[in-house]
Amino acid sequence: MRSETEIRAELRTFVQRHAGQVAITDDMPLFTLRVLRSVHLPELIILLERLRGAPIDVEQLRMGDFDGIDAMMASFGGKP
Amino acid sequence: MNTLTELTGIGLRWDPSGQAGLTGPLLALAGDCDRAFQHLASRWGCPEEAYAATLPAAALHGHLRSFPHQVTFAAALDPAESNLAEFADGPVLDRSGAVALTRTAPVTAVLTPAACYHVYHAHRGEQLPAAAYVTTRNTCFRREPRYEPLRRQWTFAMREIVCLGTAEEATSFLAEARAAVDEFARLIDLPLAWTPATDPFFRPDHHPGHLLQRIQPVKHEATYGGSLALGSANLHHDHFGSAFGITRGGAPATTACLAFGVERWLYALVDRHGAEPGGWPDLLAAAGQAVAR
Repeated sequence: MRSETEIRAELRTFVQRHAGQVAITDDMPLFTLRVLRSVHLPELIILLERLRGAPIDVEQLRMGDFDGIDAMMASFGGKP
Repeated sequence: MNTLTELTGIGLRWDPSGQAGLTGPLLALAGDCDRAFQHLASRWGCPEEAYAATLPAAALHGHLRSFPHQVTFAAALDPAESNLAEFADGPVLDRSGAVALTRTAPVTAVLTPAACYHVYHAHRGEQLPAAAYVTTRNTCFRREPRYEPLRRQWTFAMREIVCLGTAEEATSFLAEARAAVDEFARLIDLPLAWTPATDPFFRPDHHPGHLLQRIQPVKHEATYGGSLALGSANLHHDHFGSAFGITRGGAPATTACLAFGVERWLYALVDRHGAEPGGWPDLLAAAGQAVAR
């Protein structure tokens, strides 16, 4: 499993790759603002699974889990 | 809980294939329901738009991938004389009652899966100078593993109120729409609860739309009795605006809809107020009051 700093950096890289010219912050609600879209979710979940070294049960996903990089770190950045 | 006998007594003509005929008091109640929903739509000055029973399959590419298990296709025989003769001279039906099809023509149409799809298709390519609000009603077709009278049907009536606008306009519409439904339900003494929901996507664990619905509050259902969804409030973001080239303010329009499943309202109203029509609430008066507030 990567460190929190490494996971956060990889998430920022992923988001920025899809954000175009939009400046990203860690608390930005990425899906609400349509910076990321539904088509990005499967890839993002796979990335998070790889970074945390554990699967994510999509049936356990909750509202807000992906509201921003901070929210993703809170939900998936620690030990499963 | 309504029994089939009770419902039949007030006009239900149930076909176990998942289709309901309505007569007598139940038909009158369905008409009142729909007029009440139209009255709610008047809050936004909605014009009525009426559409065909089918949509071009080419306009529903994403839907077909997402809900192949629910789709009903409009199929016809290949019109070649020899093919028609082969069909007409054959058994026509097999022993199970299934049609003994000969060669079919290419299937290019889908029986309406949701009333609002017609609106996006009909308004394709439009540049909206202001938010647009539309109401429409259609008979919708959704295949299900099992059917229950008025609760879960293959064919059912859906009344929708649709907003096409900016993200802010669509979000405001949904908030107002939910409040109007709440007020209407309160006035007719029909307890409803709004709950986040997901659509029944095929292979949901891998479907981006399902995943989005789990993490974003884009779909809420108005449920009666804990589980029966009488309606839903849906935010599509710019999914349909992009797909159909509808723009608002130079960007793909955001769309949202409020959908009512008419037969389910019948079930809930009879369950709540009984099978005696004299005990049913005045839906039109309630809708009028809900709009006036």
